[in-house]
Amino acid sequence: MKILSLMTVFLVGAALIYGTLDMPKWGDPQSPASTHVSPYYLNHSLEDTATPNVVTSVLADYRGYDTFGETVVIFTAGMACILLLKAGRKRRGNGHV
Amino acid sequence: MFEFIISHYNYWMYIGLMMVGFYAMMVKRNLVKKIIGMNIFQSAIILFYISTSVKKGASVPILEHAHEGHGAVAHAVDVMQYANPLPHVLMLTAIVVMVATMGVALAVAIMIYKRYHTLEEDEIIMAMKRG
Repeated sequence: MKILSLMTVFLVGAALIYGTLDMPKWGDPQSPASTHVSPYYLNHSLEDTATPNVVTSVLADYRGYDTFGETVVIFTAGMACILLLKAGRKRRGNGHV
Repeated sequence: MFEFIISHYNYWMYIGLMMVGFYAMMVKRNLVKKIIGMNIFQSAIILFYISTSVKKGASVPILEHAHEGHGAVAHAVDVMQYANPLPHVLMLTAIVVMVATMGVALAVAIMIYKRYHTLEEDEIIMAMKRG
């Protein structure tokens, strides 16, 4: 079982390393990730949002609804944690009484 | 060949880190170790995405001299001077999801420990089979 899992891990690792052979060089300014969409945000974010920090302007302006959903996610997670831990405490208290 | 290794070994580091997390998730019997393995896995993916945003000689994506023209004059931005901002933003979202799953998973682990008084997976399955 352990050997099988280890083999799966190394198989996935080998497949991923095979995939990186086509990846652009580290720090390459002409890589596809930094030539297609991101220049638009770097060029237009100042006139669109008047915010010098591009990460902030994308997070809170261009993707504002996504960030709102993100806060819903973390609120739900926090509520789930509180409810789980509170329910556990109450049940044990009832068990002792 | 040597240059190829120098320009690609960062990806291999993250794949190694991902393999550590994947192994912990599959093989370890302790639930907390599984959760930490999941955390390592997600950290590896986040580091991978962040490394795609690097440009050689570029700075953080905060525009310089942005407030001198009072916003009206949109001067040309040298794209090569700033790192790619999009992976940073997307990984910010991924970190939030990571923290949320980690918190809920640890809370569930606490509940399992209260019920079965153990965190070992095989012991929990045996206790569940007994009733």
